[in-house]
Amino acid sequence: MLAVIETTPPINMPTVTFITPDGKQTVIKNTDGTLMDIATENSIEGIEGACGGVCSCATCHIHVTPEWIERVGPADETEQDMLEFEEATHPGSRFSCQVELTPDLDGLIVEVAPLS
Amino acid sequence: MSHCPYHDPFKDARKKGPVLPTQFDGEPVPMILGLKDVRKAARDFKTFSSNAPFRIPIPAEEDVRSVRQFPLEVDPPDHTDYRKIVEPFFKRPTQPEYITRVENLIGEILTDACQRDSIEIVREFAIPLQSRALTYLLNMPESEANVWIQWGTHVFRDESGVSKGAEMEAYCHQLLDSAAANPGDDFFSALVQAEFQGRPLTRDEMLGFANITFAGGRDTIINTVAVVIAYIAEHPSALDTLRENPKMILTATEELIRFTTPLTHIGRVCPVDTDVHGKTVKAGDLVSLCWASANFDETVFDSPEEVRIDRKPNPHIAFGNGTHNCLGAPHSRLLVRTLLRKLCELTSSVKLIEATPKVEQEADYERNNAYESLTVQITPSSP
Repeated sequence: MLAVIETTPPINMPTVTFITPDGKQTVIKNTDGTLMDIATENSIEGIEGACGGVCSCATCHIHVTPEWIERVGPADETEQDMLEFEEATHPGSRFSCQVELTPDLDGLIVEVAPLS
Repeated sequence: MSHCPYHDPFKDARKKGPVLPTQFDGEPVPMILGLKDVRKAARDFKTFSSNAPFRIPIPAEEDVRSVRQFPLEVDPPDHTDYRKIVEPFFKRPTQPEYITRVENLIGEILTDACQRDSIEIVREFAIPLQSRALTYLLNMPESEANVWIQWGTHVFRDESGVSKGAEMEAYCHQLLDSAAANPGDDFFSALVQAEFQGRPLTRDEMLGFANITFAGGRDTIINTVAVVIAYIAEHPSALDTLRENPKMILTATEELIRFTTPLTHIGRVCPVDTDVHGKTVKAGDLVSLCWASANFDETVFDSPEEVRIDRKPNPHIAFGNGTHNCLGAPHSRLLVRTLLRKLCELTSSVKLIEATPKVEQEADYERNNAYESLTVQITPSSP
């Protein structure tokens, strides 16, 4: 299954693909904000973002695909301390609320972490 | 911050070590203080178990209720199956029509407050708001709130000194009887129709679900609402900041919830003798997971005693952490977000007239995160 969603454009903003554990791919174009913002705006299953993006609720866990890990960058200490207690962690684990979208993330592919 | 009722009572204890050895109800209870340690303990249900009826809230509640609370006082894996039964109700606050109802409710209550010369926030604003909003969560007629409003700020420990616990249990029995006779689509009907691991719930289990639903999200929400109003009264520019940056309502909500941390702590029982950061806890004895200390941990939060409405990240654990994470969190967040939004939209100022802080006095700390009464004057925004 593939869904393509175009939002109102800020110019040069990246296209991001979310893959949910059931294999569904959603391509979101012209993104802005954080990965969590666009995931909740587009109802990506498994991304709740309950705390609104302050790295408190741990309901927006994603896996950055290996080829993107370096460009997205690592979790800081606060985020890492929380990820430590998550299930289904992965070398590319991040909370999507902590990933700001920038033009150099164009083409980014992330997987939604399976719920425990 | 002069009037804000907060000074972190665990600051000195954290300097001395990872736990504060103290006692509640005459029993020794080490309180775990640091954010990371609390989070870790909350996740480790084998070492720190919730399988202890009446003893998970501290002080213990044997004297004020007759039933074990579900799913709070149960460990996984049973906890997971119990929690699933009520989860759909607690997820309702993300539905657009639910959000609209809460917006209308808070709009109505605030508009009414604006028309008065002054209003006492705890009794005339926060209690009706909490009770009426709870009818939406439980999918019950809004008129039921009139019964719940009479239970005061805390079903078990209202300032009147009289527990409404028995009255609340009798009321829940009645609702379960009517739901069994004539089921609808409300919370009580869901309980009478629910299955746990292939069998119906017992009446005590149903009462246990209802008990925490009424007791748990009550003083916590009421006190948070009062602290939010007090904060706005003391920081008049905050509403302007939020009007200019509406997205900041989300961070302000989390920050005010962190700052209030309405539930100071919760208990866990060690099933075997356990070393807790150098203190021995005997088999069957309690530890406390101190959310209120964790949320002011200076190794994580910069200037923790300051309210910064744009704080981000803000990895607070005011709703607990791990598998027992507060079921009412989405509802509570919606209430605080909507309250801030409506204050921005409908009011121009909140003036403090009188504030009597409420003190949680225990053997080794004194905490001040709520109000006995808070009287303010709310001025509507100019048309």
